[in-house]
Amino acid sequence: MINTSFQRLWRLKDALLGLIGTRCLDCGFTAYPPKKSCPKCRSRNTKTVELGRVGKVVSYTVINVPMSGFEKMTPITIALVDVGGCIILTQLTGVRPEEVYVGMEVEATIRRSAETIDGYIPYIIKFKPVQ
Amino acid sequence: MWETFLRKVYVVGIGLTNVGRFYERSLRDLASEALIKALDDVGNITPEGMVVSNMLSSLIEQENLASLIADYSGLRGISGFKVEAACGSGGAAILAAYSLVSSGLMDIVAVVGVEKLSERPTPEVTRGLAYAADADYEIPYGVTFSGLNALVMRYYMSKYGVKREEIAVWPVLMHENGYKNPYAQLRMRITIDDVLKSPVIADPIRLYDSCPLSDGAAALILASEDIARKLNDTPVLIAGVGNALDSTDITSRFELDTFLASRLSAERAYRMSKLGPKDVDVAELHDAYSINGILTLEDVGFAPKGQGAKLLSEGRFRPGDKPVINPSGGLKSRGHPVGATGVYQVCEVVMQIRGDFPGIKVPCDVGLTQNIGGVGSNISTVILKRGD
Ligand SMILES: [Zn+2]
Repeated sequence: MINTSFQRLWRLKDALLGLIGTRCLDCGFTAYPPKKSCPKCRSRNTKTVELGRVGKVVSYTVINVPMSGFEKMTPITIALVDVGGCIILTQLTGVRPEEVYVGMEVEATIRRSAETIDGYIPYIIKFKPVQ
Repeated sequence: MWETFLRKVYVVGIGLTNVGRFYERSLRDLASEALIKALDDVGNITPEGMVVSNMLSSLIEQENLASLIADYSGLRGISGFKVEAACGSGGAAILAAYSLVSSGLMDIVAVVGVEKLSERPTPEVTRGLAYAADADYEIPYGVTFSGLNALVMRYYMSKYGVKREEIAVWPVLMHENGYKNPYAQLRMRITIDDVLKSPVIADPIRLYDSCPLSDGAAALILASEDIARKLNDTPVLIAGVGNALDSTDITSRFELDTFLASRLSAERAYRMSKLGPKDVDVAELHDAYSINGILTLEDVGFAPKGQGAKLLSEGRFRPGDKPVINPSGGLKSRGHPVGATGVYQVCEVVMQIRGDFPGIKVPCDVGLTQNIGGVGSNISTVILKRGD
């Protein structure tokens, strides 16, 4: 179980499922998660952009000691993935932990997450190796 | 700003409990022990105000800590409130208390940091600590606080070609130092082999790269200059303070291998104190994980970028060097009573300057502490100097 409500994940569905970030129209910095103003130049002249769905692993970890709610999914492989110059945090799927490496090419796929506190099974984006 | 201030502020008293897992003691017991020790360290005084620091008391169904601790300790009627900045709460509370005294609003203010984690099972505490991360965008993936730091560690190792064994030197040194600190939670010596063979928490972070989960409380009494001289023969000057914020998430960072907030908060404290990294004799840095210690060595200005682990493994930063890093044993060995850690650090450096630290003693006039909240997202720096 993830200790969050379905309502919250519904509110976040565009960003979490559509991989939506914000791009600054003044300096070009792309941020994920989305921001109201550019973290780099403070411009409010930003637009939402769909990030790429294919990218490269820039770092990863395998979590053996989970927080409450994720015991059944452990070990969890988490990666930072560079999708076109913007880094996102995601879970890797379809790959054994010992096979992951920095530079590995991965692509987005839709998978189940853990149950919410109100009993729903939400879907989230995970990344799998490019076949 | 961070250059001018209205009145000089001194630390005139300190008090701390041992760090550990105290099943027989409550949050109010621990906080009150530290506070009363600090008040007694000065003499029989009543502070006008109190700033409490804590992160996770909501896990044990207790908020509104200032009134709880003040009343339990015989200070009903004074002013007070809590400051929260995740694991960086202690440093942030010191900044708030500093401002109350420096501004002239109050002459004597207590800072009380307290954390009580042993009352809850580890998975629940692990979840609580992850509340310092981005709840909307990071937690749904099941990433823990160790996991986020592990992502930073692997990135750093891969970018600078740093070996796993070089980073393992950090916890070995911390345990060597903390072994002699009577307040420390984990007083045992370890070897590089012990670190490399300890269980994996979040690869590449292993058990001995991680701080323990701790209970503990620490307190400081701050006073304005004229009052400080009447209260104490050996007041320690707060020569500089600084705080800075970075993103809560780690994905939108400008650099993954730099804690921007560490650098900015240290720069602010240096500027205010008119001192620099070369003036620092002793530092207490925030090594919740070995990688945090290495990164902040660099970001505070004690090592060039990418060189922290290398210099450490070549023998730097030990007793006898300048600066000596974490003679307390740091978060690794002293422990990490989360919201209290920043207050412990300042107590330890004050004792070093006064010459009454009960562990490894460092001859010093200038000390620095840095306290990190989140994965480098809310960082406070304090520079302390022998009072003249
Ligand atoms: Zn911009």
